Amino acid sequence: MAHDDHSAHHVNYLAVFVALCVFTALSVIFDLVSFSNHAITIVLVLAVAVAKALCVMMFFMHLKFEGNWKFVLLAPTTILAIGLPLALLPDIGVAYYTPLAPQAEWRAEMESFHASHAEHGGHTGGIEHLDEHVNPGTPVQDGVTAEPHKESHDEDAVAPAEKAE
Amino acid sequence: MGIPIPNSKLGLWLFLGTEIMFFTAFIGAYIVLRIGSPGWPTDTADTHILVFWGGFNTFVLIVSSYCVVVAHEAMAKRDFSRARQYLTYTMALAFVFLGVKSYEYYGKFSHDILPSHIAETPTQAINKVDRELEQVVRERFAIYTDAKAIDVAQPNDLATVSAQLDVFAKDTGEDDSGLRISAPGDVALYSKWQNLHQHIVANVSLDEVPVATGPGYLADRAALQEGETLPVLEFAEVTAELERLKSNEVYGPAIQAGVFDPHPVLYGNLFASIYFLMTGFHAIHVIVGMILFARPLLQGSNLDEKWTDWVENSGLYWHFVDLVWIFLFPLLYIA
Repeated sequence: MAHDDHSAHHVNYLAVFVALCVFTALSVIFDLVSFSNHAITIVLVLAVAVAKALCVMMFFMHLKFEGNWKFVLLAPTTILAIGLPLALLPDIGVAYYTPLAPQAEWRAEMESFHASHAEHGGHTGGIEHLDEHVNPGTPVQDGVTAEPHKESHDEDAVAPAEKAE
Repeated sequence: MGIPIPNSKLGLWLFLGTEIMFFTAFIGAYIVLRIGSPGWPTDTADTHILVFWGGFNTFVLIVSSYCVVVAHEAMAKRDFSRARQYLTYTMALAFVFLGVKSYEYYGKFSHDILPSHIAETPTQAINKVDRELEQVVRERFAIYTDAKAIDVAQPNDLATVSAQLDVFAKDTGEDDSGLRISAPGDVALYSKWQNLHQHIVANVSLDEVPVATGPGYLADRAALQEGETLPVLEFAEVTAELERLKSNEVYGPAIQAGVFDPHPVLYGNLFASIYFLMTGFHAIHVIVGMILFARPLLQGSNLDEKWTDWVENSGLYWHFVDLVWIFLFPLLYIA
């Protein structure tokens, strides 16, 4: 029978399992390491996810050893699946007009709120790339933009600047 | 001719094809929304995301996927007791996954990280405190109206109830219920909430403007020169007032339980919707997988080669569930 043939391929499942564990550890490490740009973290962890997905699909799901029917079955669904986000992207993701979401207005209020909290040494919250948008004229040391929401970094950066003045 | 696999496996793969579109719709919509939403919350202090437990669950699903593969291999080799053993491990790991997931959900609920519950600006956070305090006042007043300690025609009219409660508190008559002891405290709670509420409505400072209503306040407002304004209400004033109210002996515990710490999170509601939608549908898939594995396990020692295809197909489904989590973990917990 056809399905019995697949077990004839001797995959070292334990090795695949170990590889998956190593990949998981890698993505946690990438989360802990603070890169100068958060986008680097995102790209790295997603690359690891793709590698893990390939391991699972090829070996655990046996797709490496299946006939060409796998392409007939999976190509249309993959194309349709990718179609939806691509169709949404131009308007919702990267609109050429001023976004109408109320958050676009609220953001200004939140940024001044986080800024005043940072002054008082309170929690600064998690606005992405805060420093890039508030006060672009303020000189910021390299590496600070990596984690704008970690107050300790902000203070480290601000303190020497104030002393210099 | 035809596709050289059993019909059941073909059916399962076709189903997985629809599943790919189902989850990619969510994941893709999330990525697109994320790109279009500058200021998305990433700090775990805002989202209460537990990266460690997300990673732990990733590990749990990988181990369980491995167990399913070994179980299927054992089925093909007609080693049914080994297959049962590994299917049992898979089942146990699925329970661990759901246990961790419920712990994570509990953390979200206890911080009110729920769609449509989250304040996205300081102003919204202040209004949320106001609403929650009003609810606490209603609950405290209900103690007296439910016990018929005071008799009011309209128990929802808090001002009237408060006035009646004040009369009741100052009454020296017989009191079996002991409610007269707490009544003055709750009258004070009502007036403190009212004071805060009026400052919020008028948007004037709690500390620098004594009252935000009445003739004195109106006279102060009228006396303002053109361009002058009264100092506005600060977020920190509201949190400080809330802390003072929480330390009260009579109504403090009710406020601890009924009022969440104000914490504005821009895009918090969209984040919560997406988090619960994606992890929720994934958890439903885990439960379906557990039902699929329960059937061969319920055969006990009667498990035989008739179940080989079943275990293979359930295994394929389970790997897909693992696959979805492999993407959800970096996208929701790390990115």
